[in-house]
Amino acid sequence: MMVFSVLQRVFTEARYTQIAALLAVVALSTAILIPNTAIIVQVFQSTEISLVAKFAFLGRMYGILFTNFTIFAALYTVVISILFGINSSLLVYYIRRRQTNVSNTSGHTAGVFGVVSGLFGVGCAACGSVIVSGLLALVGAGGLLALLPLHGAEFGVLGVMLLSYSVYQLSKRISDPLVCV
Amino acid sequence: MQEEQSTSQAQSSHTQAPMAAAAPQSTLLKDLMIPVSIILAGVFVGAGLYFSGGTGGGSNVAVTGAGAEPAAPADNTGKVNPISAEDDYFKGDIDAPIKIVEFSDYDCPFCSRFHDTMNTIVETYPEEVVWTYRHFPIEQLHPQAPAVAIAAECVGELGGNEAFWTFSDGYFAARGAQDGTPHDVLIPRLALESGVEQGAFATCFDSGDMNERVQADMTNATETGGRGTPWSILIGPSGKTYPINGSLPVSAIEQLIELAQAEA
Repeated sequence: MMVFSVLQRVFTEARYTQIAALLAVVALSTAILIPNTAIIVQVFQSTEISLVAKFAFLGRMYGILFTNFTIFAALYTVVISILFGINSSLLVYYIRRRQTNVSNTSGHTAGVFGVVSGLFGVGCAACGSVIVSGLLALVGAGGLLALLPLHGAEFGVLGVMLLSYSVYQLSKRISDPLVCV
Repeated sequence: MQEEQSTSQAQSSHTQAPMAAAAPQSTLLKDLMIPVSIILAGVFVGAGLYFSGGTGGGSNVAVTGAGAEPAAPADNTGKVNPISAEDDYFKGDIDAPIKIVEFSDYDCPFCSRFHDTMNTIVETYPEEVVWTYRHFPIEQLHPQAPAVAIAAECVGELGGNEAFWTFSDGYFAARGAQDGTPHDVLIPRLALESGVEQGAFATCFDSGDMNERVQADMTNATETGGRGTPWSILIGPSGKTYPINGSLPVSAIEQLIELAQAEA
């Protein structure tokens, strides 16, 4: 309940909703488009097609979510992106609130904890399958993913869990009176 | 008096200076915290995707296992082996101005989807596009895939281009429909349906004669920058190459074909 009440409070302000939406789109686009950066760059560098056609191509590339993801992977990728947006927005809200309030020692300690927790959450969008599977591939151990029951989707699930935890922690700090004395 | 004032101001400025210096530092730290953290997260995301060969973050292109290399910044798609009627199995007009070379894995679900996409493409552009199928089985993820690739090569060797495609289309259709038929049942059945004599097929399959062909395709896939399947290279009329990583939607492939035609 506390989380929903904080979310309601934060997202009644349009700018935080905008920040969350923007960052969620950025995160989703990163996951979908980066594997095909080379071809997107080629299309955008072409002098033979119009700018409208170039953006139409970019739009069509989002169809990859349906053709190159399992339903499960598509689901957790979207959820991670949304949580990433929410988490970032909460972090901005939290830090801004702290800047406008007088801090005391306990508030400061709690504030640091909140920021660290927020940073941890923001970073988790990266750790959910991306960093871990990336590192595994880097060291030539991509085959290890085959040993996992969900073939690496575990990291996506982990990302969702950690981001959710971070949203919870940030919400707790935002609603904590010691933080905003 | 003036001396007193200046002394007082000097003392005051001495005592305030550290505070004044500390305050902007603290504010600066606060100000920088958000953008720096977001940038750091972005760097982590980018690095992760980069080092995973663009296959992380939920993308489900099958990743190559042992020996996999991080994404090569250089474009190596020009190293793709040329298409020939003698060495390749193809759909469409072999002399078509646009050539699409696909490196695929028979047991990769996204390859199955892309197989349907490519069938649609060659039906839509029968004279403009030729599609060739090459092997890139990823054993770490799909242990039976190399055997299927060898079986397909045997079918092609014994029955020709049409038999190869009957086998391949049949295999992907079965897997796409999540047909749970075991490999040792499905492979001989499809070979038979492709018009290949069972005894000759079994001899070819057991001989290991086709291993080298499959290996050559895999080597070329890696050389050209492939780190997962499906990995495809579109070659335009001018010889310009366009990398296609994963199972792109039909509409995106169609637009790439139009671009390649325009850039001819």
